[in-house]
Amino acid sequence: MIVVEDVYKRYRTEHGVGKWVLHGINLEIPRQLNVGLIGANGAGKSTLLRLIGGIDEPTKGRVERRCRVSWPMGQGGLEGTLTGRQNAKFVCRVHGHQDDLADRLGFIKDFSELRDAFDEPVSTYSSGMRSRLQFALSLAFDFDIYISDEVTAAGDASFRKKAADAFASMVTRAGLIMVAHDEGTLKQFCQAGILIFDGGAYWFDAIDDALKAYEDTFSK
Amino acid sequence: MLNTARNPLSVTTSVWQAIFLREALDRLFDMRGAWFWLLIEPVLHIGFIAFVFSAIRVRTVANSDTFIWITVGMLAFFLFRRTSIQVMYAADCNRPLFAYRQVKPFDAAIVRAALEALLMILATMMILAISALLGHEVLPADPLMVVWVALGLWLFGIGYGLVASVLMALVPETEHILKLLMMPLYLVSGVVWPLMSIPQPYRDVLMFNPVAHGLELVRQGFTSYYHAVPGVSVAYLYAWVVGSVFLGMVLYRRFSRQLVMK
Repeated sequence: MIVVEDVYKRYRTEHGVGKWVLHGINLEIPRQLNVGLIGANGAGKSTLLRLIGGIDEPTKGRVERRCRVSWPMGQGGLEGTLTGRQNAKFVCRVHGHQDDLADRLGFIKDFSELRDAFDEPVSTYSSGMRSRLQFALSLAFDFDIYISDEVTAAGDASFRKKAADAFASMVTRAGLIMVAHDEGTLKQFCQAGILIFDGGAYWFDAIDDALKAYEDTFSK
Repeated sequence: MLNTARNPLSVTTSVWQAIFLREALDRLFDMRGAWFWLLIEPVLHIGFIAFVFSAIRVRTVANSDTFIWITVGMLAFFLFRRTSIQVMYAADCNRPLFAYRQVKPFDAAIVRAALEALLMILATMMILAISALLGHEVLPADPLMVVWVALGLWLFGIGYGLVASVLMALVPETEHILKLLMMPLYLVSGVVWPLMSIPQPYRDVLMFNPVAHGLELVRQGFTSYYHAVPGVSVAYLYAWVVGSVFLGMVLYRRFSRQLVMK
């Protein structure tokens, strides 16, 4: 379970302190549930994912991760000058898997379907190839909750299906928190939804309700 | 497997190992023969200056063989400068990797400094071996002193780099100022110019620079009968080491978020 307790977040900008991006958010995100984050551009979805993933800290409040949470897929994480394999090795080592490196690399290479490109520098990858690699990388580890920031958007239809199947197959073991703008993708992956609107976060048990509430915000 | 949380120490060591291998790959193999140029560059640089000064100018500096005087001084100076530059840009060069919450900017800085020390040891051994083949006296008279002072210069490089990288993250303009400071440092530290020959009171002003102390002390460690500038002191160098490393670590602790975000 991830507990987000009264979290406020604002960034420092070139003109001093910026406005509040997140304003007093309270959430309890259970394991084993696929949750979609919905909101307009700049609403703070990626900011919330960064806070949940632990690579940034809230200005006020706190985030507690009571299970193993992945890094936010899609927000960096790949070093362009290194090859896909070298990046994968780095991530395995950081997560303490020096001993079974070969197995993990085999899985990542297979799942990403990068074939020979696995040994080319990541800077030569297309956006779809990058997202395949990022997805495969995080699936190589047993997390309780995976975080994905628009990774699925760049993949082609067959890869998206493969990723969705992978998450469906481990629904008893792990959950997913994802940002996507495509309604179809959200329905394909998620059961519950969180709407981020005007600095607040609103929980919906069904993704359809969340999408409906999101559309209602347009008219305001 | 992952079910038990790893203890912080094992997380840090695995992160250091991963960054070390990633940095070493980047430094040594990012282009054709990168490792060769990395080692040959200081060899050629030092070889050329040492040759010019010893062949054309003078045979001894303050009782010390000019060739060794220049070589040792430059190696010590490069140890400081290269370490500080590596540490300064550690966070910048590893930005994408901070997406993994285990990886902190401080890890990158420490590992980069360690890698630089390793490369400098290799370069030093190569250059001293060549000097020995050319018939110079390369074995230090006081090896412990040399190691102690080289360690001090390396640590001061880390401290300077840590402080500088935080300053650069907070106020980007400082990068220009720090670059301007680095340029004359080569001259005022007495790398190619004996500080002994600078008249008073200017010499005392130049001796506020801890790097100058380091260079003089390393030379003294190599040649026991070398006349170093009066008043050089290991304690002075280490006072700067302690001050700068402490300040750097405090700044890293306080501003680690600003280092990661851009």
